[in-house]
Amino acid sequence: MAGTVDAARCRSCGRLSYPTHFYCPACHCRDFDPVPIEGEGTLLTWTRVYALPLDYAQLYLTLGIVELDMGVRAMGRLDIDEPVTGARVRATVGVVREIGGREVEGLVFGTA
Amino acid sequence: MRDVAIVGAGSTQFGRSQWSLLKLMCEASNEALGDASLGDRRIDAVYVANMGSVRNNRQAGLASALVDRLNVFPAAAETIENGPASGASAVKHGVQAVASGMCDLVLVCGGERMQEVNAFESTEFVSYLSHRYAEYVYGVTLPALAGLFARLYMERHGIRPEHLAMVAIKNHANGARNPRAHLQTPVTMEGILTGPDAFMNNPFIADPLRFFDCCPVSDGASAVLLAPAEMAGELARTPVRVAGIGQATDCQAVHERPDPAELPAVRLAAQRAFAMAGIEPSGVDVAELHDAFTILEIAESEEAGFFGRGEAAGALERGETRIDGRLPINPSGGLKARGHPVGNTGVSQIVELVRQLRGEAGNYQVPGDPRHGFALNFGGFGNNVLATVLERGV
Ligand SMILES: [Zn+2]
Repeated sequence: MAGTVDAARCRSCGRLSYPTHFYCPACHCRDFDPVPIEGEGTLLTWTRVYALPLDYAQLYLTLGIVELDMGVRAMGRLDIDEPVTGARVRATVGVVREIGGREVEGLVFGTA
Repeated sequence: MRDVAIVGAGSTQFGRSQWSLLKLMCEASNEALGDASLGDRRIDAVYVANMGSVRNNRQAGLASALVDRLNVFPAAAETIENGPASGASAVKHGVQAVASGMCDLVLVCGGERMQEVNAFESTEFVSYLSHRYAEYVYGVTLPALAGLFARLYMERHGIRPEHLAMVAIKNHANGARNPRAHLQTPVTMEGILTGPDAFMNNPFIADPLRFFDCCPVSDGASAVLLAPAEMAGELARTPVRVAGIGQATDCQAVHERPDPAELPAVRLAAQRAFAMAGIEPSGVDVAELHDAFTILEIAESEEAGFFGRGEAAGALERGETRIDGRLPINPSGGLKARGHPVGNTGVSQIVELVRQLRGEAGNYQVPGDPRHGFALNFGGFGNNVLATVLERGV
């Protein structure tokens, strides 16, 4: 059921980007191959946020930025009770938000 | 290019207003127009800064509506939406219009009225600034981005929660001296950080940032009247020259920046503004920085070059950024206490600096006849930043 969250690898220079851009940030080419974000990484920073936007029933969200071993950084939901910067985490994909009645999938990081 | 001067300035009270958005903007504009000796001169153009009127106030085409209420037909009119940096953007466009020679008298008005929507909706609408697929879908809000940045910056540069609290305490103390500030209540270290009730008074909003690390949601408007410097002497007793403007952009997704603990757009915008003004950061006598979150005042004061990296905390400890310090930062109370009507803020900062440079800031006047002022208006989470340098006299 769960899909993928894709980074983009430039067909010209091989640069991996996430999120995607219209032009490659390194060489300005505009042809890319999708590369699913997966595997392990290191937690660069995190926050537990209580100031939530619309449509959230929970009290807080735990969010983090992860430096993935595959060579990109990504923001995601943390499925970790006591996050610590520098911790090793593993990327999965799950439902992260409902927008206009539609479930949206995104990156969820758990302890590796 | 012609030199451009500010010949009139005005603002409303900040906070929760009974007035409509247009009424707020009319009152601020009226004060700015009345502040100048206009005679029967006509306004050539009106630039309006606002971020949320279409969503929050069901009003589009704000600048055209303001021209109508103020009766300044057939002035040219544009509304500028550049997120939380809308205010400084509108001032920049006004300055360009006068500098180019296309216009002589330009009114720039920033206004925002947030209270028509509830707290969830206002957090939601500001979160539209984030990257749709890489940030927004996770429920990322501006406080969340600030919390992520704060943890990184604090760990790397040895900033402690006490330093964040010192920013809040200073800016609340300043706000208490500014009769138009949204928050005019002083706070203490004991009350917000070290006392027995501190964490009840000051809960986490986006760990490590607490309630008193975040600015309030405010209504308010400010306006400035711009004119060519050569006309300024007839229009104002103490004209203030717009000496330099710098702007820079950066990646929208914070995680994608080469170093997410840095704010290169702040650095570049400040460098460009200083270069245009022909002064160094050490030449600034008073600064209004974009302290939507306390950590931002600290980081911006370093990125703009007022302190070396990691040195802002020590400056706070020594009181160097208080009203009577070596470099007063946010004597108006800043976004933290004066308030943050989002699209308005950049204009408010300029108005506050004009008051300081004219020596008209009353209880929160910086001593020593300040001559150079510096404003930093931070859009998105640092992906569109404007710096402005003002100089007393023309
Ligand atoms: Zn490339």
